[in-house]
Amino acid sequence: MHGVKRIRYSREALEAKQQRDKAKLQEYLALTEEIISRKKNGDYSHEAFDLTTRMLRVNPEFYTVWNYRKTILVKEFFLKSTPHQINDVLSGDLDMTTAFLKQHPKIYAIWNHRRWCLEQVPEGPTEADPNGWKMANWKKELYVVEKMLDVDARNFHAWNYRRYVLASMPVHRSEQSELDYTTRKIEANFSNFSAWHQRSKVLTTLWETGKANPAQNREEELELVRNAMYTDPFDQSVWIYHRWLIGEGSDATILQAEISSIQELLDEQPDSKWCMESLVHYKQLLLRNHSAIIGAEDRQVVKTSCLDLLLQLQHVDSERKNRYGDLAVRIRDMDI
Amino acid sequence: MDVDVVVLGTSLSESITAAALSKAGYKVAHIDTNPYYGGDDASLSLDELVSWADERKADNDASSYLTAQRKRFSGISYFGTLPPQSRQYAVSLQPTIIPSIGPLIDSLVASGVSRYGGFKLLERVAIYDSPGIVKPVPGSKEDVFKNKKLSLLHKRRLMRFLMFAGGDFENKPELQESESVPFAQFLEQKFSLDAEAIQVIVYALAFCISATDRTLPALQRIRRYLRSTGRYGPSSFLVGHYGGLGEIAQGFCRTSAVGGAIYILRRPILSIASAPSETSSRKYTLQLEDLQEQLQGDVLVGASDYFQDDNTTQENVVGEATSCSLARCIAIIDRPINFSVSSSNEQPSETRDISVDEDGSGADSLEVASEVDTATLIFPPSSLEGGSSTVSVSVLITGEGSQSAPRGKWILYITMPLIDEQDTTETAEQLLRPYLNATLSLGSRSPEMSAALEPLFTLFYTQLTPRNYSTPGDAEPLSSIIHSGSYAAYLPEIADSASINAEKMFWRAVKALKALGKYPQRSQEGEEEKAGEVEVESMWPPLEYVEDNDDW
Repeated sequence: MHGVKRIRYSREALEAKQQRDKAKLQEYLALTEEIISRKKNGDYSHEAFDLTTRMLRVNPEFYTVWNYRKTILVKEFFLKSTPHQINDVLSGDLDMTTAFLKQHPKIYAIWNHRRWCLEQVPEGPTEADPNGWKMANWKKELYVVEKMLDVDARNFHAWNYRRYVLASMPVHRSEQSELDYTTRKIEANFSNFSAWHQRSKVLTTLWETGKANPAQNREEELELVRNAMYTDPFDQSVWIYHRWLIGEGSDATILQAEISSIQELLDEQPDSKWCMESLVHYKQLLLRNHSAIIGAEDRQVVKTSCLDLLLQLQHVDSERKNRYGDLAVRIRDMDI
Repeated sequence: MDVDVVVLGTSLSESITAAALSKAGYKVAHIDTNPYYGGDDASLSLDELVSWADERKADNDASSYLTAQRKRFSGISYFGTLPPQSRQYAVSLQPTIIPSIGPLIDSLVASGVSRYGGFKLLERVAIYDSPGIVKPVPGSKEDVFKNKKLSLLHKRRLMRFLMFAGGDFENKPELQESESVPFAQFLEQKFSLDAEAIQVIVYALAFCISATDRTLPALQRIRRYLRSTGRYGPSSFLVGHYGGLGEIAQGFCRTSAVGGAIYILRRPILSIASAPSETSSRKYTLQLEDLQEQLQGDVLVGASDYFQDDNTTQENVVGEATSCSLARCIAIIDRPINFSVSSSNEQPSETRDISVDEDGSGADSLEVASEVDTATLIFPPSSLEGGSSTVSVSVLITGEGSQSAPRGKWILYITMPLIDEQDTTETAEQLLRPYLNATLSLGSRSPEMSAALEPLFTLFYTQLTPRNYSTPGDAEPLSSIIHSGSYAAYLPEIADSASINAEKMFWRAVKALKALGKYPQRSQEGEEEKAGEVEVESMWPPLEYVEDNDDW
C-alpha cells in the first residue's frame, strides 16, 4: 500500500491489534450475511437501509449493496414520501458519498451513486421554483468535483465526472471559464493527460460554436505546448496534445514551422524519443499532404531523414524496435 | 543533586541532546543562565530582545557566560522605538528556513516533539534584481514552464540541470573531476547555462555563500531541497511558528522534562569543579548562583560560552565546518514587502485569461506583484551598489502567517556571512544598511512612497562563531566534556546542522558514560526497571503506538 505509515508495534500491541482485526472480520461477515438475506427476502425497511449505510462505510466497493440501497429507495421510500423528504434523503446520500470520496477518490461505485442521486432530485421546493433543489445540488456538485481535483489534479474519475456535471447543469458555465480552469491545472502540473484532454474538448466546442477563432487559438496553443515540450520533452501528455493540435496537418506552413521547432529541440536534447517519433510523424504528413510544394529532391531528403530517425529510435526505444522497423518499410515504399 | 549528564545551555542542539539522553533513561539536568529557553537560537519578545542587546552591550561586571557572550555578539546598535504589544512578536536569534526532508524533521518525528510545534510553508524565494524589482526563482518544473522570461533553449538547459541535480549524480560523468571546482564554473562548463541562470542556481537554489563554494556540496544541497518539495506542500522549506528554532528547542526541553530531566533557568554558574565532592562520586561539581545545593554529574555537554578556556581541547567540540561569523540585522516593519517582478517579463499567466471565473477562483493568477508574508530574498554578490562583491546576503521575512508578528507587522532578518578579513573592520550597520534600504524599497510599487518606508525598530550586530571552534576529525575522542559548536552558515542548513551536532553529542555522551560504567536506568522497551548494563540502541526509542480511531 502506498502512503501508509509503518508503525512499530510492541509485542502486546501487535497481539491486541490482531484480536481487534479478528473481531472486525467476524462483524463484517455477519453483516454481509444479514444484508444478503434481507435482500433475498425483499426487505425494504428502514432498518435494512441503515444496514447498507453501515456496510458501505466499511466497503464502498460492494456493488450489490449499493443496488440494494437504491432498490429500497425506489420501491419503498420514494413511494411513501413527500418531495421534501426525498430531497432530504438524497442530500444525505450526497453528503455521505462526499465523505467516502475523500477516503476513496477512485471508486466507480461511489461516483455512480452520486449521479443516480442527482438524477432523482425531485422538483421543488415550491411550484413557483421547481428547479430550486436541482440548481442547488448541481452547483454544490461542481464545488465537490473541484475540491477533488484540487487534491489530485490527475484523478480521471473526477475529470470525467466534471464533464458530466458541466453538461447537466441547468445553467451552463461559459467555455472560456472552463478553458481558464484547464490553464490553471496545466500550469500547476502539465503532466496531466486529463487536463489537456479537457482543453481539447473545450476548444472544439468554442470553435464549433463560432465563439473563438481557431487560427488565433491554435497559435497560442502551439506556444503553450512548445513551452511544455522544452521544459520536459519526456512527458508524453504534451506530445499527444501537440498531435491533436496539428491533426491531419492540412496547413503546410504550421507543419513546417513545427517540424523545425522540434528539430531544434532534438538538437538540444538528442536522446528525446518523442522528438524523433513526432518528427517522423509530421514529416510523413508533409510528404503525404503537401508533396506538391516541396520539390522532388527535397522529398527524398525528407524521406531519408525519416528513415535515419527510425533507425535511431530502434536504439533509443528498443522495446518498440519492430514497430519502428515496420514504419520504415512503409515510408520506404511510399509512392513519391 | 546528582545526575548522569549536565547539559549547559538550551540552544537547539543542546536541547535535542538533552531530550535524547533523557528519553534513553539517563538522569539529566539542563541549565541555562538566561531567563528564557533557546540560548543563541532563542525566540524573544521585543522587550526580551532589547534586554538581550543591552546586556551584551554593557560593560559592567558579569558572569563568565555573559562575558563570553559579549565577546561573540559585538557592534550592537539599535534604532527606533519599540512598537506596542511586545509579546506578540517572536524574534529569532537564529533565523532560518527548514527543508522538509532532513535530520531536524526526522528528529522531530522520531522524538514525538513535532506535536508541540507548528510550521508555515515558505511562500516564495526570490532574487534581488533592481530597486523595487525581484526576479522569480525557477526551482521546479512548473516554475520553468510558466516563466515567460526564459528562452525555450534555456528552459531546456535549466530543466536538464534540475533533473540531474534531483537524481543520483555521484557517479555521473558530468561530475567526474569536477566535485571541487567552483559551482558556477561547473554549471557553465557542463550545462552550458548562461550567467543569469547560473546566478539563480548558485545563490537561490544552492544558497551558496560565495563564488568559491564547491560543486559537490552545492549539488547535494539542491538535491535535498528539490526532494523536499511536495512533502508538506509546493515549497521545499518550512518556517517554524513563534520564531522557529527557539520554539522547537523548547519542545525538545518539554519532552526531556517529561522523561524526567531537571530544568534550572536564569541561574548563572559560579564554578565548575572537576574534583568530586564529599557527598558524591560524580566527576564534576557545579555551583549555581542562589542555589544552595550543588549539582553533580559525570558528563558535561554544553555551549562553549559556559566553559572556561582551560577546560577546552579542540577534540571535544562538535561543530560544523562551514560555519562563519555573521553580520545581522533585525528590523520590524509595518508595511508589507512586495515581490514584484518586472512587468516586462511576467505578464499575467495568459493574456486572454482576463475573464475572472464566476466564483473568483481565477483572480490570483492575475497578480503580477504580490505581498509576501513569509519569504526569502537573496542578494547575490555584486547585485547591490554599496553591498558586498564577494558574499551572498539573505533576507528572511516573517509575518503573521508564521505566528511571529501581529497582523500588519513583519520582521526582516538580514544575514551576511563574514568571510573576508576586510568585512570585519566595518560594523554590522555599515555593512547591512544598503541591504536594508534595498529590501525596504520593495515595500511599495511607487518610488516616491518607498522613501517613506522606515522600520519601526532596527537592530544590528555581529555574531562571531563560538570560540575554540575546530573541525572534528574522524576519530571520536573520549571526553566527558563535550562542547556544542557552531551551525552551518547556509540559510537552509542551520536547523539540520543543529540536529546533526546533537546526534554526535548524544553518542559521545553515551560513550563517555559507558566508559564510566554508567548505563540508562530504564530499559528502552518500557518494561520493568532493570538494573545492569542496558545498551543504548538508537537515539530515539520507538514511540508508543497510538490507537487509530477507525470508526466501526
